[in-house]
Amino acid sequence: MTMPAIAAAHPPTAAAPLLDVQGMTRRFGGLLAVDDVSFAVQPGEIFGLIGPNGAGKTTLFNLMTGLIPPTSGRLRYAGEDITRRSPHRIAAKGIARTFQNIRLFGNLSALQNVMIARHVHTRSGVLTGVLGLPPAPREERETRERAYALLELVGLGARARETARNLAYGDQRRLEIARALALQPRLLLLDEPAAGMNSGEKGDLSSLIRDLRTRFDLTLLLIEHHVPLVMGLCDRIAVLNFGQLIALGPPAQVQNDPAVIEAYLGAE
Amino acid sequence: MSQFFATYGDLFVSMTLMAVLALSLYLPLMAGQLSLASPGFYALGGYVAAILSTNPGSPLLQMFPYRGLFPLPLLLLEMAIAAAASALLAILVGVPALRLRGIYLALATIAFVEVLRILSLNFDITGTAVGIFNIPQPFGTHIEYLWITGPLLLASMLFVYRLERGRVGRALIALREDELAADAMGVDPTLYKVLAFTLGAILAGMAGTVTAHLLNTWNARQGTFDFSITILAFVLIGGSRTFLGPVLGALVLTALPEVLRFLADARLVVFGGLIVLGSIFLPQGVVTPALFERRQNRAPRPGAPPPEAGLGP
Amino acid sequence: MSLSLLFQAVLNGLSIGGVYAIFALGYTLVFSILGIINFAHAAVFTLGAYFTFTLMGSQPFTSGLLKNDVLPVPLPFPLALLLGSAFAGLVAVGVERVAFRPLRRRGADPLLTLVSSLGVAIVLTNAIQLLVGAEIYSFPDDTYGTLPRAVNFGTATAPIPVRSVQIVIFAVCVAILIGLTVLINRTRFGKALRAVAEDATTASLLGINTDRFILLTFFLSGFLGGLAGTLVGSSVSIAGPYFGINFGLKGLAVIVLGGLGDIPGAVVGGLVIGIAEALVPGDQSGYKDAVAFAVLFLVLLVRPRGLLGRALVQKV
Repeated sequence: MTMPAIAAAHPPTAAAPLLDVQGMTRRFGGLLAVDDVSFAVQPGEIFGLIGPNGAGKTTLFNLMTGLIPPTSGRLRYAGEDITRRSPHRIAAKGIARTFQNIRLFGNLSALQNVMIARHVHTRSGVLTGVLGLPPAPREERETRERAYALLELVGLGARARETARNLAYGDQRRLEIARALALQPRLLLLDEPAAGMNSGEKGDLSSLIRDLRTRFDLTLLLIEHHVPLVMGLCDRIAVLNFGQLIALGPPAQVQNDPAVIEAYLGAE
Repeated sequence: MSQFFATYGDLFVSMTLMAVLALSLYLPLMAGQLSLASPGFYALGGYVAAILSTNPGSPLLQMFPYRGLFPLPLLLLEMAIAAAASALLAILVGVPALRLRGIYLALATIAFVEVLRILSLNFDITGTAVGIFNIPQPFGTHIEYLWITGPLLLASMLFVYRLERGRVGRALIALREDELAADAMGVDPTLYKVLAFTLGAILAGMAGTVTAHLLNTWNARQGTFDFSITILAFVLIGGSRTFLGPVLGALVLTALPEVLRFLADARLVVFGGLIVLGSIFLPQGVVTPALFERRQNRAPRPGAPPPEAGLGP
Repeated sequence: MSLSLLFQAVLNGLSIGGVYAIFALGYTLVFSILGIINFAHAAVFTLGAYFTFTLMGSQPFTSGLLKNDVLPVPLPFPLALLLGSAFAGLVAVGVERVAFRPLRRRGADPLLTLVSSLGVAIVLTNAIQLLVGAEIYSFPDDTYGTLPRAVNFGTATAPIPVRSVQIVIFAVCVAILIGLTVLINRTRFGKALRAVAEDATTASLLGINTDRFILLTFFLSGFLGGLAGTLVGSSVSIAGPYFGINFGLKGLAVIVLGGLGDIPGAVVGGLVIGIAEALVPGDQSGYKDAVAFAVLFLVLLVRPRGLLGRALVQKV
């Protein structure tokens, strides 16, 4: 199917999309990492993004979170154009993410990692912080409490004071999620959250993600390699190959799409 | 006893001032920025004091004429003015320069210091190559300067200590750990890097103001590249990860050449040698955060079985 | 500025620019293979000048531990120049062994290596001071043989004088640069250099003995530094052990302008800054030194990769 045909087969629903990706393109020298990708993520969805290695999924995440500028295309979030905003402004608007290669603040404790992400929701500055004037003391307390609560939620409460880089790999991934949640996002982007996990852990992760959606009224967008996980968890899935969108729809439909099958089989 | 103070008064005062300067480098370093710009602001602060207290056209002298020793309130006023001037210059220079990282930033700050130095060599108001003389003294003896430098150091230490523990400090440290991730978590890198840079500049400027009075003269030889290396040594050897490191590094390394006076001419050679050894064997300096950890974190290695319940921290 | 003055300035600028280029190449060689800036290079530059001076044995030292010492067998300038530069190269090799290799072994942060090199620079500079004091030493007047003091590039009525020394220096620079170009493009060493500069791991997998190779590069870098130091010291004077540090800082401006790690870039950068400095009008000569640093600052702000350098890409 061609791109316009795919889009026509899935007209936008009546509700306004939370994230609207329009013609995103990113070129690196001669390489088209992301090629005219368009789709919309509805509020409350768990949206999956899959594709063979090098398909452009993480680049797309980087484009969405302002880490790199697009060569062309637009990005709308809750109706607002955020196409060339810087990462911290996008974070302030309510989009949080985790990273494919885990980017924790390694020398800081788990608790401090999560506390830092409370930055946009607190205001105390140099003077109020140093002199202990309001709102600093209250904010410190609240920041700490919220951070603890989030760590408990992902099962790291007992490890709050441990140095992040000393944590086990699976714990580090969960810490990244807790940190992203501290941002109080409406949209959470997870980049390969299940990488390196065994099947038991993957099951826990699925449950956690569903729980997070309900508990925090989140919309989730996740990149994943483990196809069964994605199929079981996501409401809709977009498939990328060589930077292009080749399929979009509910899991059952995507699973049987010949283009998708060929992309994965062909890539082996 | 008074003989001791007379001989070592200068040394104690220098030690405290060097410690303040070490903190001025530590602040941008907290945000992961290696800035060698402190001597530039130090020189600026010194010239502020020198010009305001000796230049016949100085508004300070005209508004507040005095007799005898230079009045303390005027010194404090000079420090405030130096702080403001340093902050302004820091923002002006910092906003464009702090987009650079690593070695490029270090080079830019080196260039900044050199440009300032050469400008001061050429301007009349800064006394060109000769500099400015007869800067008045607020105190009768040198050791009395501790009344100013002591509180200045203590206030700076307290300031940095409190800053580290709050929201701003966390933002700075996050930037140092991983600027990209910090950005993605809502910390504005430019704002906080410039902030750290500016705070450091303020400390350096105030130190310069006091030193100009202490030394009685001020010239272009006060803010040089050499000096930035010395300050860097204080921080790197003393400890680059906690605010006590730079202070201790400065105190000890300023006192050491005096104590080891017999080394005299060779003392800078020893200094340089210490820097090399320090970089190789003590990359985090002497005073490390590990020294303060009361509980050792024995985390399980990835893949190892989790510790039994009941043995938790 | 009149045309003849302009011409004279450009010629002088080319000469000093040539020296800047040679000096900067020392930085560039090391940066291209190790990705670090070797601050000790400035000290090696200084050492080269002092070594050559000592080898010429023209006058005894007037202070320091070697006071009144002089070499019993004075050497002619060309020989002293070569030997002095070679000794400088050896010192550079020593610096690599002592200050850089241990850090390289642990994959240390480049900034730490930079700091270590700063420490070495301080050690070397102050060791010089200990040995021979901070006096100004001048090379003998007949160092460059019996040449006319200046050569006239213009006409009798509109003379454009250029000091003979500048011409000789420029000639030496050109010769060295040609030699280097041949070395880098036509020899095995040069090919290996370019390979290691491109990708050190692959290079070592291809059988290039990285450690030994790095030593050779440091030797070459030190040789160039010592050579540049001698040229400057002999044409002006050795203004104390610290005269290399200021030069060293300008060298940084040159390599940033040309592009860090870019060999032709160092040459271009050197010539550009040399000419820019020479164009500063005589009555503002105090600002000459500021040119290099202003250029450095501007380049870093506007185009950090310099004129010829590759763009820096950060992997997310």
